[in-house]
Amino acid sequence: MASRGSLMFLLHAHLPYVNHPQDSSFLEESWFFEAVVETYVPLISVLERLAGEGIRPGVAVSISPTLGAMLENEALEAKLGLYVESRLELLGRELERAKDDPALLRTVQLYHELYSEAAGLLHKYSGDLITPLKALQHAGQIEILTTSATHAVLPLLARPEAVRAQLAVAAEDYTDRFNCKPAGFWLPECAYEPRLNSYLKLSGFGYTFAESHAVESAAAQAPNGVYSPYRTSNGLGLFARDAASSREVWSSRFGYPGDPAYREFYRDLGYDGDYEYVRPYLGSDGIRRPLGLKYHRITDSGADLSAKQYYDPDAALARVEAHAADFLERRLKQTDDFYAARGARPLIVSCYDAELFGHWWFEGPAFLEAVIRKIRVDRLPLQFVTPTEYLNSCQEPPELSPGMSSWGENGYFDPWVNETNDFIYPAVYAATDKMIETANRFRNQDLGNLAQRALNQAARETLLAQSSDWAFLLYIGSHAAYAKGRLEDHAANAVRLLGEVIEKRLDEGALAALERQNNLFPRLDFRVFASVSKF
Amino acid sequence: MPELSKPLPPEDKLVLLPKNPGTFFVFWQFSAGRSEAFLTASFAPEVELRIAYSDDKSHAAAHKAAWQSGRAYLPVPERGGNCEVALYALRNGVWEKLLESNQAAAPVRAGAEADRAYASMEFHKRVQGGTV
Repeated sequence: MASRGSLMFLLHAHLPYVNHPQDSSFLEESWFFEAVVETYVPLISVLERLAGEGIRPGVAVSISPTLGAMLENEALEAKLGLYVESRLELLGRELERAKDDPALLRTVQLYHELYSEAAGLLHKYSGDLITPLKALQHAGQIEILTTSATHAVLPLLARPEAVRAQLAVAAEDYTDRFNCKPAGFWLPECAYEPRLNSYLKLSGFGYTFAESHAVESAAAQAPNGVYSPYRTSNGLGLFARDAASSREVWSSRFGYPGDPAYREFYRDLGYDGDYEYVRPYLGSDGIRRPLGLKYHRITDSGADLSAKQYYDPDAALARVEAHAADFLERRLKQTDDFYAARGARPLIVSCYDAELFGHWWFEGPAFLEAVIRKIRVDRLPLQFVTPTEYLNSCQEPPELSPGMSSWGENGYFDPWVNETNDFIYPAVYAATDKMIETANRFRNQDLGNLAQRALNQAARETLLAQSSDWAFLLYIGSHAAYAKGRLEDHAANAVRLLGEVIEKRLDEGALAALERQNNLFPRLDFRVFASVSKF
Repeated sequence: MPELSKPLPPEDKLVLLPKNPGTFFVFWQFSAGRSEAFLTASFAPEVELRIAYSDDKSHAAAHKAAWQSGRAYLPVPERGGNCEVALYALRNGVWEKLLESNQAAAPVRAGAEADRAYASMEFHKRVQGGTV
């Protein structure tokens, strides 16, 4: 059956760079371990399984440079291996504990399968999960994008040099990692502003994404709403996020993830288990915290956690199938309505954080697989497309000047600029301004090895200080002290290193320690921050 | 209100950032000499933040703030578009311009909020009473 429209899934995978090689166990590194086991491994498995069956997934995945660096970090890979091993050991004990409780046993078995799958995939790729993603892209099954170097919200970087550096470092990092140039760019937090068009184009990117209300607020009316791509005046391709398909998946209250049959995120063995029993898995401080083993279902979203009932994997899977069917039915209605009104086949662009699938919404990877599989099996008149193939096959997109926007709460920049986190900006700008000033001063000088290393490390620290994650963590009040410390440390490291270069009093030992810890972007050259960059 | 725990280099700086269609965020710092002038009462303790439209430099609005508060939220002027801020301080009855900001545009309000689909906060339950 001929396609009545196209569907584009963009999964944005990002974590802040958390690497503490001096510690054998570091709490915030568990974000990475959990995301690998609960999201990245299941998603890679889904994509590989579909591709292996001849069902092309055709999804776009943006992988942030910080996440990419963690996925290739051998020290983190080793810790990840220990984490998975430790959970499998606990799950072995859990299988024994649950053997006479059939309702619990099925879920414990499910977790055992999840962690075994992670161990198997990590073993298969020698711990490097970039390899299967690269292979999937090379085989034309998916398209991989990048985002800004450290996930800075670009409209909040007032200095053009800082924006250019975030883009240039991201482009170079992508080329090094995936052996090709990136075609597309995911704006962190989908935060768009018109001045970014020229920077993105000059950095070699062909397209990006913006929120639906960016299109609604466009100076010239968008003729097809969010249902077609556009191009900016300088030829940058622009896809608009469809709110309806996003809301059905994103909302834990009104969307699919809130279904009573789905797994409850906030009830965890780390809090439920006998203290002495779970103590060896809690971390060195012994404080109860989530272990990632969650045996209950949402039951009733308003219910107290203690009132939650056991998870039933079969019941959850049945809901996944129903939700996939509902999702596609709604998309078909969207395409039919648009075709009836405009006589053209629409493109529906659905963008999500990848970590929603599996980590937050446990059943998310199964949902994704069911949606892709169902289009094929039921011969639905929808096709999955990646951004580049759509742009290569569609008519010349109409020109549009979209408005400033983001996908954050309230649609603009409130989550990253408010009274819980606005105090960070003087530190971010202190590092950024000093970095630009020093890059300009030294950009044409032949520097000794130590000074060059120090300036390059200052550039890394500056980029890390600009990450959106610190402001967001402060806003939600989660790991706030860590976020504040990281932000202040990166800014202070940058300012100190730059001062030491200028005053010719570098401490090589301290520099080497920073290089070991904040060791992403190995080819970074500080001149990327210069006002007239050589890049 | 949380604050930085490490001192910043004492530099003159005034930065204007967009927050939402109705609000700009502005922060400022002073060099050691300027801070000293405030501390010794050479300057009055209240500064004035004057917003101007960048296209024609016409005055849009003015807001007072304590010099050491270092940051403020300013309503976006009615005409919107690119704006810039200048910080003035009062010395001997005369307003002196001390700092000028970058240009920044506020977002244009668009669409109904109910129609939007945020990358949801609902999954990130706010930690009540979280401290920094």
